[in-house]
Amino acid sequence: MVLIDEMSLPELPVELPEFQSDPMPFVERAREQHPWLARFSQGYIVHGYEAVKDLAFMDDKLEMGLAHVVEFYGVQGSQWARFMLEMLQSHTGVEHTRIRASVAQAFTPRRANQVRPVMRRVIGELLDDWAPRGNFDFAEFASYFPIAVLCGVLGVSTEGIPRIRNAIETHMASLTLDKAVYPGFLEAFDLLWGYVDELVSEREQAGADDENALLDALIAARDAGKLNDIELRDMVLVLLIAGYDTSKNMLTFTLYRLLERPDDYRRCAQEPEFCARVIEEALRHSSIATVFRNVTQDFDYQGHSFSRGTMVAFAMPLANRDPAAFPDPLAFSPERESENRHLAFGRGEHICLGQFLARAQLEEGLHLITQRLHHPQLDGEIAWRPFLGAWGLRSLPLRFDVSA
Amino acid sequence: MVRIIYKETDGTEHPVDVAEGTSLMQAAVDNGLPVIIGECGGQMACGTCLVYVDEDWEAQTGEPSEMEEATLELHEDNPHPRKRLSCQLKASPELEGLVVHLPESMY
Repeated sequence: MVLIDEMSLPELPVELPEFQSDPMPFVERAREQHPWLARFSQGYIVHGYEAVKDLAFMDDKLEMGLAHVVEFYGVQGSQWARFMLEMLQSHTGVEHTRIRASVAQAFTPRRANQVRPVMRRVIGELLDDWAPRGNFDFAEFASYFPIAVLCGVLGVSTEGIPRIRNAIETHMASLTLDKAVYPGFLEAFDLLWGYVDELVSEREQAGADDENALLDALIAARDAGKLNDIELRDMVLVLLIAGYDTSKNMLTFTLYRLLERPDDYRRCAQEPEFCARVIEEALRHSSIATVFRNVTQDFDYQGHSFSRGTMVAFAMPLANRDPAAFPDPLAFSPERESENRHLAFGRGEHICLGQFLARAQLEEGLHLITQRLHHPQLDGEIAWRPFLGAWGLRSLPLRFDVSA
Repeated sequence: MVRIIYKETDGTEHPVDVAEGTSLMQAAVDNGLPVIIGECGGQMACGTCLVYVDEDWEAQTGEPSEMEEATLELHEDNPHPRKRLSCQLKASPELEGLVVHLPESMY
């Protein structure tokens, strides 16, 4: 066994703009030195498909590594830190199961299918509003979609979205490990917490009991002693945050990939089943999430020793482009047949709770967008998001023709 | 130990001795059997441990819970009448000799 701290490993400069816009030349060079492991400024990055898959199942040895993020900014003791360390993803085992169970029923494939009409209505209304402009930043357009669907799932009004959109962005930016975002994310968190607290209080006072409203179900779970007051609010906030950056970045990435494939784009307008294939390949080809883990007990994996306290990042965008798992990984091929399935939603205990909701809204969104916006063309410079956390395009200016 | 037989669509049988209380998904994964994936580790959150149970065994395997049914909807295009998530089938003496059928593929 070799301690990874003593190994000669390649370094991935994840902070560089060149890495953000095209990580693959860096990763290909790193792979020549080590097939699946590299260093970055704050710890280690696992970028091989099999290794990410195997390690993601080791929930007993690798917990969510948000304590490293809190320490990085030196904000132990803040309300933000409490949230980061106590929310769903930071729990494991029995506690994790208890908290996740309070919302799991709202995220099954059945519920995702039931919410499809809400998804179609939301994207339809957005298109009514935005399409007549003839050009817009698709990333901004997309930012209003998944969160409005999530408000539908929770059973709350979408009126608050403009108020919290920027705050969610700012909070999420904390995961990029860039000191420039401090202390903005602490202020953003206070705003978000105030918003969620208001939502819960209003709902309690109204005594609402809508069986399709997840917020009412969560309040009922709290009343039944399954969650406490703080956990209830943490959960609402987790859902708003998790449902925002991820799906909007995936949708924007998908549109970007389809700009080079006009035939596929047109086919998406005709065939919902083909949209599903395109989305699945987009999740593989252009995954967005890099997640942090903290090693909670020493362990060995494939001749490598990981010591307690080490920070490990699982880079899904890189693992899903591992040529050992996906031949010709940089080709965007909706028709791809593969033995392996991408890791976009993770594996193990922390597998994405919203994966079926995400897939359904990406499919519905793509189908309606391709029906309404014709011949999309780039209309300016794209801009990239930081690689860590939720990668993707910060800006995708498009012009297009609109149906009469 | 409980003897469970996992049967592929081509008829290949994989007999496995499963410890009481262990899920049939976990036993399949631990023994490197094909098709069964178990992406979520057994919390009904992925639907990738689908199996079919013969009618004769329905009494012993019991009914799927509402949550399991809701997750099985992932496979709604698959018309098989007795679909189960193998993470919800735990080895017990009543299941000695149970045959579970593996689907052609999971996705």
